[in-house]
Amino acid sequence: MELKGDPDGVVVRAVLAGEVDQYAVLVRRYQNRYARYAAQLLGSADDAEDAVQDAFVRAYDQLAQCRDPDNFAGWFFLILRNRCFAQRRRFRRESGLDSVPNVPAPDNVEAPLEQAERRKALQEALAILTMEQREVFVLKHVEELSYEEIAARVGTTVAALKMRMHRAYDRLRELLKEMR
Amino acid sequence: MSRGFDPLVKQLLDGERTIADLPPELHAEAAEALRLQSAIDRRDVSLSRDLEARVMAAVRARADSPAKRAWRWLVAPSVPRWAIGALAAASLAALLIGRSSSKQTTPPVTASQPAESAYVKFVLYAPGAHRVALAGTFNQWDAGATLLARAGDQGVWTVTVALPIGQHQYAFVVDGRRWVTDPAAPNVDDGFGRRNSIMSVTPTSGPAL
Repeated sequence: MELKGDPDGVVVRAVLAGEVDQYAVLVRRYQNRYARYAAQLLGSADDAEDAVQDAFVRAYDQLAQCRDPDNFAGWFFLILRNRCFAQRRRFRRESGLDSVPNVPAPDNVEAPLEQAERRKALQEALAILTMEQREVFVLKHVEELSYEEIAARVGTTVAALKMRMHRAYDRLRELLKEMR
Repeated sequence: MSRGFDPLVKQLLDGERTIADLPPELHAEAAEALRLQSAIDRRDVSLSRDLEARVMAAVRARADSPAKRAWRWLVAPSVPRWAIGALAAASLAALLIGRSSSKQTTPPVTASQPAESAYVKFVLYAPGAHRVALAGTFNQWDAGATLLARAGDQGVWTVTVALPIGQHQYAFVVDGRRWVTDPAAPNVDDGFGRRNSIMSVTPTSGPAL
């Protein structure tokens, strides 16, 4: 019987006990939750999909090390985050570039042209930020988490995050001016 | 050369102020910041419908592999697989936790019966603690599965557990929230920004009691 409505901890323990198919419950539950985060970090929806897939497989491999099965989501987020950062490091090493391609703005006929252009410019500027700056920007302004929530997720202090974010604001302002 | 946003405008972007809180001379800069904010793309990203199938195919392949079966055996909740009644005193992994610093008195070693499992005694000095648990690969990192008991009134906590022969990673959990590595044992990065103590249980070290 599928553990559809059961807490994460129950599902994780069932998987560890050998009910491998129950892992699909966790995949369905969380595959979309962090897709936007991964896409914004990696600059590509396709790369985000690969990252989410790899993160789920890695999470399964390491499931016995999940210290708090009831917080599978937070643990999975860290695996996905590591995967995204690793990809960024690999990209920089292989390409010698300091940025990643920006997320192509999807067609949106309802958006005014100016808004679409502003969105595209911001995406391009975000792609030039450091990975850490981009991450805090995405978690704060795209995922709309508080500094306290971000600090708890990524394991740092609110003060450090604010400093990172404020530097990102300055850098974005500078980049957007250059793009005009 | 470009100038950064005024600190008050950054607070506006952070949602800690409104534009009305800002002096008039910053209103133009605030408007620029709000334009930046309005360009943020919060649209959802759709993943392929077959992502779940791809993940599950990989997972099932791993579950069937001999390596995975061996790993599951190693980390399975331990029902001792060795001869019952052989109460071996094991080793001592002592962790001393002071209120402000950690101090170790006895190096962590594991010893045991020549069998598939061995008893290992963990000792923790934690005078301020109300609850101490042992979590590791051997109990699926369940911080409620293996509790240490007070040994006297001097702040010493102990537990003896049967562990399979092999290598284990572990940590102590003090009061349900503080994860503490064993300062006398080697530790390794767990890949997620924390460190785990690591120990090897061998079948030949130490006499049985």
